[in-house]
Amino acid sequence: MKTLPDDIHVLTGSYVLDALTGPERDDFERHLEHCDSCEEEIRGLRETAARLAMAKATPPPAGMEQRVLSATYRTRQLPPLVSDLAARRERRSPRLSLARPRLLLAGAAAAVAIVAGLAITQHQLDTGRSGSSAISSVTGAADARSETMETSLGGTVTLVASARQGEAVVTATGMPSLSSARVYQLWIMGSSGARSAGFLTGTEPVLAAGLVPGDRIGITVEPAGGTSAPTTSPVVVMPLPA
Amino acid sequence: MQAVPRPAEGEEPDLAALLVRVARGDHQAFEAVYGALAGPVYGVIRQVLRDPAQSEEVAQEVLLEIWRTASRFDAAKGSPAAWALTIAHRRAVDRVRSASACTRRELKAAAEPVAGSDDVLETVAANLDGQRVRRCMGGLTTLQRESIELAYYGGYSYPEVAELLGVALGTVKTRIRDGMIRLRDCMEVNW
Repeated sequence: MKTLPDDIHVLTGSYVLDALTGPERDDFERHLEHCDSCEEEIRGLRETAARLAMAKATPPPAGMEQRVLSATYRTRQLPPLVSDLAARRERRSPRLSLARPRLLLAGAAAAVAIVAGLAITQHQLDTGRSGSSAISSVTGAADARSETMETSLGGTVTLVASARQGEAVVTATGMPSLSSARVYQLWIMGSSGARSAGFLTGTEPVLAAGLVPGDRIGITVEPAGGTSAPTTSPVVVMPLPA
Repeated sequence: MQAVPRPAEGEEPDLAALLVRVARGDHQAFEAVYGALAGPVYGVIRQVLRDPAQSEEVAQEVLLEIWRTASRFDAAKGSPAAWALTIAHRRAVDRVRSASACTRRELKAAAEPVAGSDDVLETVAANLDGQRVRRCMGGLTTLQRESIELAYYGGYSYPEVAELLGVALGTVKTRIRDGMIRLRDCMEVNW
């Protein structure tokens, strides 16, 4: 049989089909870094391979969805890559002499933010450690139900509740950030009034325990440190999902 | 104050926009992404691994990976489906190769052509993608089609494909590439 010239470009097809093994895959990926025409071809062939996959779409087993969705509540997401954006901003700065002190200031601010961030993270770890297993026990409960609502300030709040355990996990997404003097406080609103269930920070899930049927979950904006009863009208009130 | 609307049945959700929301921790958006991608993800993994329990395990890992790495999805590099299915296929193949590294797969025993053992295939609804893929596959030479099917659906490396088909390595490499290019043009993939 005729031996073909060993042209690395010919590997684009095998690469998108994952038919290259270990070292050859690594070599090819290194080659890709400075081969614009390969990259373009691979983009098209990858879409083609995706069609091959879509042609085999098969309904997944029942229960998989609930297991995956529950797992998302226990899985931290990767942060975005920001180097490109930072580089672009730097390039856009008109004069380096002006830009530099600003960058230094930004650096200092970032350092402060990192220190503050560490403190918060440690606090969350401390309070969250006991809570995290409780949270996964709710989101993984056989009778877990979820509900998502928009708040009057924007963003959404998702509630995953287990009626049998009388517990709910509350997660907020995309709500506007507040000044350091204000917090989002979570309330369990029952027939005998509202009791605090803690604060919502970022997208950190919060556990609301001791729920009884008919209770509702509400969120208000309160002074930092929180209050013993709501002092503003709730940005959202959610019934426990049926 | 209202629940976030879900896309109506049959309506194509805007996956790229949903992934942006998923990257911000939006569970509702992830549910919609799951709805659109779980079938193809599970299907292609099942095609490669065959074993339902193992396939489910890998599919769960992949879908959770989509949640975890949504911030790294780059619309300039391809469609959300291609991004997700690339992860899914590679995971399935990695699983096959790590298993066969110990047992050194008996190529001859496994040499049943993919077309002959398509039990999963038969259960798949005759969806539009399936029809188009079948039509375009029909336009390939036998060697191109068999090489692509063994590599993608069978999860074989191209040296294994060469061994199975009894042809030279170089031949398989070129047939796979030529065949994929022909499929791309036939399916009018715009990227």
